[in-house]
Amino acid sequence: MADDIPKRVLVIDDATLVRLYYRSALERAGFEVAEALNGVEALEHLLAARFDLLVVDVNMPKMDGLSFLQALRAKGLPLSSTPALVTSTESAPQRIAAASAAGANFYVVKPLHAEALVQYASLFCGARHG
Amino acid sequence: MIFTEAKRYYVERRVVDRMLSTRSDSFEHYFARLRADVQGEIEQFVNAFTINETYFYREEHQLVCLTSDLLAARLKVKPRGEPIRIWSVPCSTGEEPYSIAMWLLENWPHVDQYDIEIVGSDIDTDAVALARVGVYGKRALMRLPPRLVERYFVADDGASWRILDDLRQSVRFTAVNIVDRADTRSHGRFDVIFCRNVLIYFDDLARRTAAENLFENLLPGAFICLGHTESMSRVSPLFDVARFADAIVYQRPMR
Amino acid sequence: MPLIRKPPPAAAPEIAAPALDAPAVVEALARGNDDERWAAARAAADFPAAVPALGDALAHEKSPTVRQALFSALAHIATPQSVETILPFLRSDDALIRTEASDALLAMREVAWPFVPQLLKDPNASVRIQACVLARDMPSQVAASLCCDLLDSEPDPNVCAAAVEALAEIGESSALPALMRCADRFHATPFLEFSIRIAIDRVRSQVLSPRA
Repeated sequence: MADDIPKRVLVIDDATLVRLYYRSALERAGFEVAEALNGVEALEHLLAARFDLLVVDVNMPKMDGLSFLQALRAKGLPLSSTPALVTSTESAPQRIAAASAAGANFYVVKPLHAEALVQYASLFCGARHG
Repeated sequence: MIFTEAKRYYVERRVVDRMLSTRSDSFEHYFARLRADVQGEIEQFVNAFTINETYFYREEHQLVCLTSDLLAARLKVKPRGEPIRIWSVPCSTGEEPYSIAMWLLENWPHVDQYDIEIVGSDIDTDAVALARVGVYGKRALMRLPPRLVERYFVADDGASWRILDDLRQSVRFTAVNIVDRADTRSHGRFDVIFCRNVLIYFDDLARRTAAENLFENLLPGAFICLGHTESMSRVSPLFDVARFADAIVYQRPMR
Repeated sequence: MPLIRKPPPAAAPEIAAPALDAPAVVEALARGNDDERWAAARAAADFPAAVPALGDALAHEKSPTVRQALFSALAHIATPQSVETILPFLRSDDALIRTEASDALLAMREVAWPFVPQLLKDPNASVRIQACVLARDMPSQVAASLCCDLLDSEPDPNVCAAAVEALAEIGESSALPALMRCADRFHATPFLEFSIRIAIDRVRSQVLSPRA
């Protein structure tokens, strides 16, 4: 395998149990995981380190996931092209459209299955936005 | 950290403080919260034991950031002739604002080319009074190389050192309550604010108010630095996050 | 002669802030420029009578910075009326506004608590989730009781997850039966099963601590 550096995933969600669930699934599958509890903390992480995938919830305190994505996409490359999987409790088409407009690559309705998350992460790490 | 029986009161006080802050109605509740790290309690707990230490050149990486990046960024957008204003709040007994002054003199090649106003403020008027006097013990100087102690201090009696008058006069000290907007507004707008290790003690509402006040005290594009364990992610969304080689700082948007 | 070259002592460079009375606040909220609306919003914190004007301003305000000050004023005023003014914004289509409203309620604490029971029954699942977040700070027995009642009848797994998260933090042993019933109900939802297991562990670890 040419590229055996573990892929790094940033999990952005204010619920500690959600982050724990994603972390355990992703780590078992060989990913490196970091956590942020809202969009501000996520930006701090992203300015300090590279990530291969963002798993970002919409509803979070201080800075929601879509505002975070807009801020991210306004930054320069390569940071701004980090792929982002948006998770949300909402399935309405206008909510999905809003996420897409904000810069989401993919959208999944919660609650996520651990296996599905791992599959998405394996697929999407290495995808690019924009 | 090692605690002997003599430090029991010190430890008890801080545990009680944390129990009060988290509204835990028993030690068991608090302890469970600590073990589960609810809302970052481990960090809060550690901070309670380490934060009150103040000394010269604390969090040096932020001083490096100041002279490596922040001042240059400010000068790019400031009109000519406008003084550079730096605020250290809370300043406690003055170590931080005096450190800023010393650091600029030692590390900023342009220090003589600009008017620089350094203000140190604290809610504790006793601390402010001590800051104006500028006398320090050995512990406060522990991070300073001997040549700096020699250059900027006069030994009082071997156990304490007094800041040189010329350096003392480089800093203006005031009392301020950062939750009181009339109080903070009277201090004007700054290019850089150092606001370390105080917001963590406030409840949500006071934090919001303080953040809004400090936002007003920043010029557009100006910077605010928090303590190295602190983050605006728990305080306010008003500021942009800005990363430099030596520190993550926060910025009032340009417009 | 100071080592640092200081600017000449001038009049203190205060931040200008005209004293605004209630009518001036309402006027500036409706018709001011960005800076004027910001200043008016901050001043409004001192005028409980400005609550309706704050609500009106929020309905149209495009600047997140000004909105922050508007919500802060409502949080500061901290009356049931200010809570009611904030509640509709929990349903906004704009995720940021929902976040701002939620943050404001969290900053109001005790004043928002009496509203939690009705919010836990709101037809909108997002609102019910927000109510669980608010419940976390309430006195532990009340909070646990509300969350357990929800767990027994809530159809939406995401809302249950929010209640489970609250119970894990609250740590009341009275929550164990409801948690276990919810685990049965949602045995086919792995995330919820996982969360409940963790929550049960956390609650149990509180129970086993020896009491002084």
